[in-house]
Amino acid sequence: MDTTRIRLAAGAAVLALALAACSGGGDESADDTATGSGGAIRVAVTDPVQLVPGRQTIAFDFAMAVWAPLTWIDDAGEMSYVAAESVESEDGVTWTITLKDGWTFHDGTPVTAQSYVDAWNAVAYGPNAWENSGQLANVVGYADLNTAEGEPATEMSGLEVVDDTTFTVTLTGADGQFPMQLSQAQTAFYPMPESAFDDFEAYNTHPVGNGPFEVATDYAENEEMTVTAYADYQGLEPTVDEITFVPYTDTTTAYTDVQAGNLDIAGVPVARQTQAAADFGDRLYSFEAAGISYLGLPLWDERYSDVRVRQAISMAIDRDTINDVIYGGLFTPATALTPAVEAGTPEGICGEYCEYDPDAAKALLEEAGGFDGTIDIFFPGGSGLDELYTAIANQLRQNLGVDAVATPSTDWAEFAGKREAGDIAGPFFSRWGALYPSQQNTLRAFYVEGGGCPNCIPYYEPEVTDLIAAADAEVDADAAAEAYAAVQERILEDFPAPPLFFETYSYVVSERVAELPTSAVGNPTFTQVVLAEGA
Amino acid sequence: MTRYAVRRAVELLIVFLGVTLIIYLMVFALPGDPIRSLGGDRPLPDNVVAELRSRYHLDEPVLQQYLRYIGGLFQGDLGTNFSGQSVAGRMESRWPVTITLALTAWGIQVVLGVLLGLFAGLRRGRAGDRLVLAGTILATSIPVFVVAVTTQLVLGVRLGWFPVAGTSEGWPTAYLLPAVVIAVFGLASVTRVMRGSVVDTLQSDFVRSLRARGLRERRVVGVHVLRNSAIPVLTLLALDLGFLLGGTVVVEGVFNLPGVGQLLFQAIRAHEGPTVVGVSTALIIIFLLTNLVVDLLSSVLDPRIRHE
Repeated sequence: MDTTRIRLAAGAAVLALALAACSGGGDESADDTATGSGGAIRVAVTDPVQLVPGRQTIAFDFAMAVWAPLTWIDDAGEMSYVAAESVESEDGVTWTITLKDGWTFHDGTPVTAQSYVDAWNAVAYGPNAWENSGQLANVVGYADLNTAEGEPATEMSGLEVVDDTTFTVTLTGADGQFPMQLSQAQTAFYPMPESAFDDFEAYNTHPVGNGPFEVATDYAENEEMTVTAYADYQGLEPTVDEITFVPYTDTTTAYTDVQAGNLDIAGVPVARQTQAAADFGDRLYSFEAAGISYLGLPLWDERYSDVRVRQAISMAIDRDTINDVIYGGLFTPATALTPAVEAGTPEGICGEYCEYDPDAAKALLEEAGGFDGTIDIFFPGGSGLDELYTAIANQLRQNLGVDAVATPSTDWAEFAGKREAGDIAGPFFSRWGALYPSQQNTLRAFYVEGGGCPNCIPYYEPEVTDLIAAADAEVDADAAAEAYAAVQERILEDFPAPPLFFETYSYVVSERVAELPTSAVGNPTFTQVVLAEGA
Repeated sequence: MTRYAVRRAVELLIVFLGVTLIIYLMVFALPGDPIRSLGGDRPLPDNVVAELRSRYHLDEPVLQQYLRYIGGLFQGDLGTNFSGQSVAGRMESRWPVTITLALTAWGIQVVLGVLLGLFAGLRRGRAGDRLVLAGTILATSIPVFVVAVTTQLVLGVRLGWFPVAGTSEGWPTAYLLPAVVIAVFGLASVTRVMRGSVVDTLQSDFVRSLRARGLRERRVVGVHVLRNSAIPVLTLLALDLGFLLGGTVVVEGVFNLPGVGQLLFQAIRAHEGPTVVGVSTALIIIFLLTNLVVDLLSSVLDPRIRHE
């Protein structure tokens, strides 16, 4: 009898372990923010845990409601100023940021140049180990706050307060895209009030920002959190009075809750993308996002060293069919190396190599001497990517006449670990979502070593790196966009890996919502949600 | 009886140490680096990674980490996750949800299982018996996840009888649907055991004697058969609690109930050793204690059972 008991206990342990084994998932997080002309909305989020702007990695919507950024980029890619009066520079190295007068934090204290400088120093301070500190890496003095040995400094020498509403930022190199980097989703650049620095834990429970909404209920794990319109907000007046962020573990449940009318806005999980249009009709919104996916190729493997092999793989992928069947037509097949929403992206530059042409693909592969062995695609499991990579493997097999399979990892962590170790035998998942919609962000992430995406294509040409740096130095927006387009042309000569899709973020809304606006980051702008009459 | 209880307590301690070690090692063996995953698919700066690794002692050998964890445990410290939140604090607010859910499910299972089993036992071999058998086995064969999502869509969205998700409407409304989903899964075994037990009891000598003495059938079945058939079912129900608690992991996710099952799922995904060990150990202890209580209780119900 007693041995039975122990066996059962062991059985329970095995059960827990089995659960551990079959968990693999990273749901796409549904991020939200909002405002309006009276009325309250309820939006789905993933439990954020970290709300301090220098730390949050999944609370963008909350952050964008409670804080106001210095600059704003709308869904047409146009930049405007929010908290900043101007952000200017002659040489692209030293930037002068002038703040608008009369802004206050929700606790009534004024927003000053010092609020920004203090906040940025706290984010960059090494021992704090804040997740978003990398966004400030190009400010002079960042390295001194992150020394491996000795006492780190506490203030970046590149930040200098001129007066209450003016401060200067010196960068390690010329960067014409700096004003874009100050936009809404780069939350490391948000200001914090003096009270925050006494106790960051308390600040995380009750964040105080400079944005259109103030926190009404303290944050408690997995509980709803309500923010209400801040009466003294100096920017664009919100159109709703109250936003409640409702945490969901499973994005599919949030979707179902919008269907049932208990929730106003939720992101569409991959599993529902094909049916969302049927379920919601015109209450489905798809926003162009600054994300792009590639099929990363193992350039360290000889078999992929011929550019014609890489082009053949790209031409053997039927992006339109995959988009229709798996993504319900919500994505856009990629025709350039950066997302279309990023200003100046040369759409169509990829040309025939991004178009489906199985005969040409097969001919090109034969010309290159064929392919020896199996194309073994590796991707992060549990993230809703299985169908995509299985479809690609099938198309490569059918169209190129080579063996092709797709293998998932257990979860994101395993994928990242193996990719980092270079322990991958074939093509792999490769995507980047830019936090500010500039070609710079995407090109750096993919094509500059240490530029952001360590899991992406390992294509680092010194010439390309130099060209990107030259484009960065252009202070004039149009000249910069042109220079980045020229970089793309140069990269395409080598065709390092096939771009797959320009991403969209999709949302469904309840009947109470008449219009869901967005911005260049692809999240809804909750502060400007238009409610239906009588809602 | 006291010696028996002490022996069981010692066994409990051994199981506790073994289970925590195994689970800790398993979480540690999960591939990938939990700190790097904190940033999602965005890389964290190297210095941030290094600082966090040393803050949470991930740079130490696994056994040392485990000993540190157990050491803290005996001082009542369940540790923190990789965002610095205390595991005890996170579990505290979630227990009421999970316990309410599991007990509701348990209650449903007891009532339905005993009634269906009794019904089937009394109608042995007839159509009603077969129908109960087929029905409960069918219900058990469908994965919990499918039942959960289907009932959610039909009863929650289409008919609007129950809330789709969350606990805001309180007990019982918010818990009924998820509890039924969990209960239905284990119903077949409870019903089968009850049925077999009823059939055995009906054939026993004492029932024949009772009938011979002219006791009304209702009293024979309602008091004597029911009580004597219940003992094996009681033991089974105690074991079943383990599966009910396991079922909460799936169901709490689908119905968005902030319980420990959901916490366990999130923690496993984030490779948070201390949280996973804390939650699963607590679940195992509940499981062991329930079984201990049931064993002691069974000797009260049936004086023939003695624990020496």
